[in-house]
Amino acid sequence: MDIGAILLQLLEGFLVTLGIFAFTLVFSIPLGLLVAKGRMAKNIIVSSIFRFYISILRGTPLMLQLLLVYFGPFYLFQIKTGDIHLGPFDYRFIATIIGFSLNYAAYFAEIFRGGIQSMSKGQYEAAQVLGFTKSQTYFRIILPQVIKTVLPSVSNEVITLVKDTSLAQVLSVSEMFTEAKTLASANVSVIPYIAAGVFYYIMNGVIEMIMTRIEKSMSYYS
Amino acid sequence: MSDAILEMRNIKKSFGDLEVLKGIDLEVDRGEVVAIIGPSGGGKSTLLRCATTLEKIDSGKIVIAGDTLCDTPEERAVYADKKMLLEIRSKFGLVFQNFNLFPHFSVRRNITEALIHVHKKSREEADAICDELLAKMELSDKADYYPCNLSGGQQQRVSIARALAANPDIIFFDEPTSALDPELTKGVLSVIKALAQENMTMVIVTHEMSFARDVADRIVFMDGGVIVEEGPAYDLVTNPREERTKEFLAGY
Repeated sequence: MDIGAILLQLLEGFLVTLGIFAFTLVFSIPLGLLVAKGRMAKNIIVSSIFRFYISILRGTPLMLQLLLVYFGPFYLFQIKTGDIHLGPFDYRFIATIIGFSLNYAAYFAEIFRGGIQSMSKGQYEAAQVLGFTKSQTYFRIILPQVIKTVLPSVSNEVITLVKDTSLAQVLSVSEMFTEAKTLASANVSVIPYIAAGVFYYIMNGVIEMIMTRIEKSMSYYS
Repeated sequence: MSDAILEMRNIKKSFGDLEVLKGIDLEVDRGEVVAIIGPSGGGKSTLLRCATTLEKIDSGKIVIAGDTLCDTPEERAVYADKKMLLEIRSKFGLVFQNFNLFPHFSVRRNITEALIHVHKKSREEADAICDELLAKMELSDKADYYPCNLSGGQQQRVSIARALAANPDIIFFDEPTSALDPELTKGVLSVIKALAQENMTMVIVTHEMSFARDVADRIVFMDGGVIVEEGPAYDLVTNPREERTKEFLAGY
């Protein structure tokens, strides 16, 4: 196999990697906000549930969580997941997204919680006295400031996510790492691994650039 | 009908076992400037926070500009419903000790945000109000600045403008100059003085004794959760009756 063919096949895998990455962010960030809210709930039962959620998802391997989401429905409830399709996505891919989103939501939740709790009480009080409703206060006053505070930590997670997508190989999702492994053994060559590494590295380079730009755009106040 | 803008009756408030307000009565008439003085921990700020809905009282009655914020039909104070609370909040302004400006908003947006999204004014109307207030605060050239680029005195004047924007019936000041050095204090005090000359109704918690004497119509001296003494500003400062007041004023 020549290098061109190898790269082409890796590129196909890269698109799947990109898919896992994008879907995970889209679902895990709002979910993380909800989990953070739940974790900060005054009701001790609610906050304990979310605390437990976070500790389980951060305290066990993501790979194991992926396997559980994928095989759990069949082993526990005899659900034939092979029949499940959402548009072009089979359950293999869906399970990957669910697993990643649940896991990353736990990490994001802790980051958001830190950001929200770092806000001074005075901001809430000023908003209250000016007559803002709770949701106006949250979306207009608090959240924009929280985003600025948490951005560096979020960048960190996002970059980790790029590399973590390779864990989807345990479900034989044909993402880039799975492809690289197959190509490497088929061609008895280390080149597919190196090429995949370059892809990951470039993707993270782009992400870093974007995140730096966003951070800069918010540096107009301190 | 009395012309009281603020009416507080038998206000009681405890934090846990600590009784901070032990039955306070305070009435402020339209156009009146009342200064509240007294040692730290005497309940001044708590009283102000109760009047501005930031703390809930245990029992008593608060009426602001004719609307009842809370009353005590039986044992515990009962507050007005959400809609009424919003209505009442538009009738007063509050200036904080540490400004509490929104750092991610420009000066203009700090002032206009509530006008547009709470009071449903058009952007043009809000901008016009903002320009007028900034001129009054001598900050016309700072509309597009962010709070972090202003001095403490300028920030406090922006927060006064913000508190004035919705045209409230009364403004509360919670130690408005305590976070400022003497030079910056002057500018803020002169703005408050100008408001007094326009007959703005104001309640000012302050440690600036000479300012209280010169600007306030009436001074209330609080200590230990009660009003120890109150009277016309000049009389109270120059000729206090109560021993405790004399002691406190001797420190200035």
